[in-house]
Formats: sequence, C-alpha cells, structure tokens
Amino acid sequence: MDETNPLTPAVFQVLLSLADSDKHGYAILKDVEQQSSGEVQLSTGTLYAIIKRLLADGWIAENRKRPPAADDDQRRRYYSITPKGRAVAAAEAERMEKLIARARDVRLIRRLRPA
Amino acid sequence: MREPFSDRAYRALLRVLPFDFRGDFGPEMEQVFREQRAEASSPGAFLRLWWETMLDILQTAPSEHAAILGQDFRHALRVMKRELGFVMLSILVLGLGIGASTALFSVIHAILIRPLPYANGSRLVVVSQRRANAAPAEMPFSAAEIEDYRKQNRTLAALAEYHSMAFTLFDPESTERVSTGVVSADFFDVFGVKPVLGRGFTRDDDAAGAPAVLLMSNEYWRKRGADPAIVGKAVRMNDREHIVIGVLPPMPQFPDENDVFMTTASCPFRSAPEFIANRSSRMMTAFGLLKPGVTSGEARADMARIAAQIAKDHPDVYSSEEGYTASSTPLREELTQRARPMLWLLMSASILVLLIACANVANLTLARVARREHELVVRTAVGAGRARLLRQFLTEHLIVALCAASAGVAMAWAGMRVLIDFAERLTPRAREITLDWPVLVFAAALATATSVFFGCVCTFSPRCNLVTGLNDFSGSRRAGFRSALIVCQVALSFVLLSGAGLLTRSIVNLHRVDPGFVGQNRIAASVALNWSREPGERPEIARNLLAGVASQPGVLSAALASSFPFDPRAVGGNPWRLWFKLDDRYENSAAAVRFITADYFETLDIPILRGRRLTDSETHSAIVSESFARHYWPGRDALGQTILGDDGEISIVGVAGDVKELGPARQTPEEVYLPAMQYGVPVMAVVVRTTEDPAKAVASLRRAIRHADPEIAIEQLTTLDDARADSIRVNRLTTDLLGAFAAIALAIAVNGIGGILALSVTRRGREIAIRMALGAKPRGVVLMLVRQGMRQVLFGLAIGLGGALLLTGALGELLFEITPTDPWTFAGVTALLSITALIACLIPARRATRIEPSVALRAE
Repeated sequence: MDETNPLTPAVFQVLLSLADSDKHGYAILKDVEQQSSGEVQLSTGTLYAIIKRLLADGWIAENRKRPPAADDDQRRRYYSITPKGRAVAAAEAERMEKLIARARDVRLIRRLRPA
Repeated sequence: MREPFSDRAYRALLRVLPFDFRGDFGPEMEQVFREQRAEASSPGAFLRLWWETMLDILQTAPSEHAAILGQDFRHALRVMKRELGFVMLSILVLGLGIGASTALFSVIHAILIRPLPYANGSRLVVVSQRRANAAPAEMPFSAAEIEDYRKQNRTLAALAEYHSMAFTLFDPESTERVSTGVVSADFFDVFGVKPVLGRGFTRDDDAAGAPAVLLMSNEYWRKRGADPAIVGKAVRMNDREHIVIGVLPPMPQFPDENDVFMTTASCPFRSAPEFIANRSSRMMTAFGLLKPGVTSGEARADMARIAAQIAKDHPDVYSSEEGYTASSTPLREELTQRARPMLWLLMSASILVLLIACANVANLTLARVARREHELVVRTAVGAGRARLLRQFLTEHLIVALCAASAGVAMAWAGMRVLIDFAERLTPRAREITLDWPVLVFAAALATATSVFFGCVCTFSPRCNLVTGLNDFSGSRRAGFRSALIVCQVALSFVLLSGAGLLTRSIVNLHRVDPGFVGQNRIAASVALNWSREPGERPEIARNLLAGVASQPGVLSAALASSFPFDPRAVGGNPWRLWFKLDDRYENSAAAVRFITADYFETLDIPILRGRRLTDSETHSAIVSESFARHYWPGRDALGQTILGDDGEISIVGVAGDVKELGPARQTPEEVYLPAMQYGVPVMAVVVRTTEDPAKAVASLRRAIRHADPEIAIEQLTTLDDARADSIRVNRLTTDLLGAFAAIALAIAVNGIGGILALSVTRRGREIAIRMALGAKPRGVVLMLVRQGMRQVLFGLAIGLGGALLLTGALGELLFEITPTDPWTFAGVTALLSITALIACLIPARRATRIEPSVALRAE
C-alpha cells in the first residue's frame, strides 16, 4: 500500500480500532461499526482482505500474547497495530485535520467554539 | 453435534477465494461469521447478513486472485529470464504444434463447421437422379424432368434449376469468354441471396421471349472495374443485347464459379423448343429448398417416389433394367464431401504433431523442474502447498503457451496461402478460410490445455521427497517417466512418417502410370468458337484455325478435338456422350465420345492398335478405345463391327490404345472417336506437337489462334505435362503437407532424444569421469550412452509400428498401388528414424568422453 495516498475509510477505521486496543477479527468488525455509527460496515471478506494487506505491509501484526484462558477461543487470532501502522494512521489523521481546517477557513463548516 | 447448514454454506462460499487466502484466514472467517450469525436476532437480519456477506466475498475474490496472478506472473518472468534457452525452445516447439493445428482448424472451421453463407443454407438440398445399372450412373436433368420434380414434390418449398455454359461477351474493348450460370428465376431466392446492386431475377425475366438480362458475380464486376453505375448498361452476348440488372454479393458458388448469370429464357440452348421437348436432352442441375420442418430423409424419400412415378409414366425413356432413381443431399454435404477425408487426415496429423511437441516440451519442463528442485524443496519446506505450486507452474506455462500460441498463429497465417490453394481444389468454400476469432479461440484453448498439462506434469511428476530431495537430484521413477515421453515421441513420429512415406510412394507410382499418350512437347489450348455464328461456317473456321496453327515454326503436327486429356475443366470426365444400341444386349448404352480431326492420334502419339486412322471427310466411321472393344466384343475383333447411333450405323474402322485421361488414379474411360467435321464441329481444344521450348510454343500458339480468328476465345493454354501434373495436384499437396508435418515431428523428436541424453550426460558427468579415470575406454563410454538412448528409441519404434499398422488404413483412397501396410515403407521409416536418433545420441555421447575427470570431480 502506498503511504502517500489517502487510506480508504475501511482501512483507516481498522487501524483506528486497533490503535485503541488489540482485538480479534469479530471485535474489529463490531468496533468499526459502532465507532462509525454504522457508516462503515465491514463484512468478513473485506475485513480479512484488509487484514491480509496490513499484515503484509507490516502495519499490524498478529499478537502472540493471548487473553486469559477463560475468555480465549483457540480459533481466534488477535491483532495489534505496529509502530509503523500507528505512524501511518497518525499521518492520515493529520492530513484529515489539515483538510478540516481548510474547510473551516473557507467557511464550509462552522469554527469550533471554546467550550 | 451437526454443524448448522448456514456454516457449511459459508465454508462452501469461501471456496471462491484463493487457496492461500483460505488457508490463512478461512477458519477465522468462519468463526467471525458464526458470531455474526448468532447475533442476528430476526430472520430479516439473518437474511441481510447472508446477502451482504455473499456480495462481499464475491467482490473480494477476483481482486485477491488477480493479486496472486500478478505475483506469480512477476515470479514467472524472473524465472524465465534465468532459463531463456529452455523457454525459447519450448515456445518454438509448441508454436510449431499449435501453428499446424490452428492452420488446419481454420480450414476445417471455414469448410466443415461454419454454416453455409447463404441465408437458407441449412435447408438447401441438391436433387440428383441416377441410373444405377448404366454407365455413367449420374444423369443431369432435362427440362421435362425439372418440371416433373417441381410439380410432384411434397417436401420442397421451391426447386431451382441451373447449368453453366461459356458464352462470348462482346464489349467495345475486348472479346471475352465468360462462364455463365443459366438459372430459373427463383434460383437466388432459393439460396437466399440478394444482389448488392440492382435487383434479382423475376418470373417475368424467365418468360419465353422476355428481354435478356444479366446478373454479375461480385468477382467479375470487380474484375471489370467495379463500376457503381453498371446497372442498366448493356453488353452483347449470343448476338443479342443483354441488360445488366444487378451485382451479386461475394459468395462461394456451387457447383461452378460463374462470371454472369442469365435466366433460362435467355440461353439459346436451354430455350430451344427441341431441347425442351426432348426428355432425354439433359444438362441441368436441380437445387431444392426444403419446406420448414422437413428433414432431408423425407425429401430423399419424396424424390425417390417421384422417380418411380416418372419411370412408370415414360417407360420408353426409362427402361426398367437401368434402375432409374432420384435422391437429394444437403448442399453442405455436397459442397464439402471431397475435402472432408483429406482435411480430417491432415487435422489428425497436425494433432499428432502437437502431441509430439507436448511430449517434447514436457521433457524440457521436467528438466527445468529438476534444475529447480532445490527451490521447490525449500518452498515446500517453508509451507507452500502442492496446490500453490501447481498454480505457480500453471502461470509460468500459461505465459509460455500463450507466447507459443502467438508464434503458432503467426506461422498459421504465413502458411495460409498454401492451405487455401490446397482447399480450392476440393471445395468452393475455400475462399471463406480466414484466421477469425473462433480460430484464435481455438489456438488459445490449445495453449491453455497444454499449459494445464505441463503444470500437472511438474506438480505431480514423481518427485523425490523432502528429506532426500536436498541432496539427491536423481530419481529413477522420474527418469522412467521421461523415457516414456521419448518413447511416445518416437512412436508418434513413426506413425506420421509412415503416412507421409506411403503417400510419397503413391505419388511416385502415380507418376509412373503410362497415360497412353506422350505429353512431352505437347501443348493444348481450350478454345471456344463463336457459337452464334452460322453452323455452316464452322468447318471453315475450324480448317482456318488448324491451318494457322500447323503453319507455325516448330509445329510437327496439330489437331482439333472436343477436349484434351487431363483437361482441368473436365474433372468429372469428358462431357460428350454417345448413346448407342448394339444388338440385343445393349439397348441404351453410353460411352464417352471425343470428336477429333485426322491428326489427333499422331499428334499425341496414341497408338492405333488395329485398323486405320479416321479421315476428316468420312461419315459413319469411328475408332474405339481398346477397353471399349474389350467390353463390347470380348475375345472378338472389334474391327468391322457396327453400333447403332442416333443417326444410323457407325462402323468401327480402328482400335486405339487406352488413354487415362481423367488422371492416373482414375478409371480408364471407354471411348469412341468420331470425325469432328462430320458432327457439327464441336471443337473446343487444339493440340499441338512441337519441337520448340514449351514456354515459347505456348506463346506462339496463342498468337496463331488469335491470328487465325480473333473471335475465338482462348480459355486455357497448357502443356500436357503440366495438365497431367495438375490432375494429381491434390494428392501432391496432401503428400507435401503430411510430409511437412512428418518432418517437423522428426525434428522435434530427434531434438528431444538428443536433448535428454545430453541432460543425462551432464548429470552423470561425475560417474563418467570416475569411469574414465579408472581406465574406461572412450569407445566403451560412447557405447554405453548410445545404448541407453537407443533403448527408448527402439521401444518407440516397436509401438509406432503397431500404431502405424492400425492407422495407415485411414489413408484409404489417397494411396495408389500400394498397401497401407507396405513393408518397404515401414522398413524405410524405421531406418530413417533409427539413423537420425543414433546421430542425435552420438553427439552428446562423444561430448561425454571429452569430460576432463579432474574438472568434473572438482565441480561436484
């Protein structure tokens, strides 16, 4: 994946979700759906195609540490974000921030008021 | 507990994903799906989940496959660059196989598979009548018979008639002989052909006394300059104005190629009242259009029924013993029946070439696999499954095969001219041959099939297992498999070479046949006198022509005749027939008749065996051929006998030697020679015996004819040697093509034998070096290696001999005076294959003896 290009919303959401905490596939799916208020809906095919690519690019890694045995299911695999992945996601967030700032400058959206 | 259906269905759905992807994430994806399913509270949510999941997987799969393909493709290119020699050789060998098959397929597709290019193609039939017990059995139709079949049939929507004649077309610029199709008005409607310019014939055009009109064939119209305003213009033919009313689309014409078409009412012969009245004056062909839903079998039965009725109504014309009957054949069959056996023969040969090429490339491939054993073993060790490796190999071979297919299509394209020339002699459909998309699809399919084959050879060939694989590079089972491939190549080459050998010997035999005349320094021209001149003038025209030709320098003798031997226009035989009676035994017999002038026999050196020559002035005298005499007066002298023709008794004044005029392989016709001057001068050929160089003599004969009478059209000028060679042209071309295939096969197989032995020498370099270091003589080493190589060759020869004995029978009619199991041919092929294989083995074997032991041992 080319780091200079904007990430797709789905990829960005997956990175965001893993930046929060290590998760297994189903947890990522649920988290992304909740955090995006249902705007980004992943299905198994897309999710694992993304995971495959993120693993290949070294942005996420499979987590060797597993949760306590009671919560664990052998069939599950846990993923965590790598420093490289974190950097990419951060860069993407900054890019978006700049875009939003620009949108405010041109009065496309309202300026934030101090609370 | 049984797994819910939904989970099993999901697992099945996952199978559309690439193998690797499934292997990496499959179980996890199933787990996630189970959780999603458990959460779906209502049937609606459940259905939505399924719908979204399905769409999603089906969208993901193609891009995942493409990603793997791209990866394999890049890998394949890297690997291929390392082994460029192997790859180029594979492409060349496979290209030859694919090229040969593709070229033949393009011909078969155009001629045998594609529907006829007429709108009504599938419903067209040729109606034919014959008398089983008379010679010749085939009979054209008379006007009355056409009328009977048209009125009495129950299976045809229409019945059109056709015959072809050559007329002279007078134009201010040139006098030209044009072949003219004379047809009923509905002829082109029956075929479903619409003119591209102007209109077609109507019923009024075919009414007696209607103004004469012409349709031009597309080719002739183009030849005359493709005048877009041709419609409405007039030309002069048969001393009448003919108005051009239209131009036909380009299409194959059957049974002859014609320049122009006219209706039966415009043809001076067809419209003559005496022709129409005589039920026995036959010259037409009949085409039927089947009513919708009628099968060709029903039509055949219908025609036979009408024939029986006609024979009952006219017992005077159709005597009961001659076995008169009628039938119908689908036009498509009729158009291609001569081409079919030869095309299938050549197609089978090209498939054999392809198989040999495949076996050869399989061997090359195995050698490559052996070189890459290390890579494969390592990759297997790090977890690449067989399926993944198979996929990788398939991609590699697909690239090679597609390159080979492109090379093959290029070769096919280059060889197309030869094939079209070949097919043109067999069927009018030859002009439809093109390299169109079904042919390209065929080539691509061949390429895919071969790459799948090689991929499987690589993956499933006996391979040493992991543990030994890293240090043991030889496998005896694989060596066995390779030997089997060599055996196959030798055996298949043997079959092809035997076929080619038998055909070549047939050609030699055909050339050896004595045609009964001398062709050397003989030149023949087919000419057409202007038929519309007064019949009384004709003897004068003929005498002028003969005198003009005979006075040319170098001409030893000259004669006129109704046709000449091996005349390419008369492939079906001499069209002139004499019907005669001979005492009680032969009431209504027919023989080929040739009208000649006095010097005919002398000019062609045909011996007069008994009696004397004919003079130009005598009437009611004839010379008969030897086989005619033997047939009708067996054991007796034909000289002095008489036969009863239409206009009285004809006495036999001489017996001439037989002439094989239809071609050396065809039956010798029984012939009667009559003096042309006494029978309305039906002169259509000039034959000349000359001392001049044939090329020069041809030119001077053309000048002499022009000079004698500018109204005589010359249709063809050829030496009789050329005409004779032309009569076996089809056999010759089939032989050449099969010979080319056999040569390719031999080259591929020999290359394979030598290549494998060379590989083995490389492998056994260390062993050979040790042997030599221990004192083995170079001779002994060569002998050992050659023995190893030739063992497979001998095995292949034995299998090939068996195969050839089974298969050469398929050559059937192409063989001439040789049995399909001719021992000399098989011995020759065995010798040829053995010697070339021996040479192929000797080269690497001798190289082996030059191995420097110290170098070989250090290399290990």
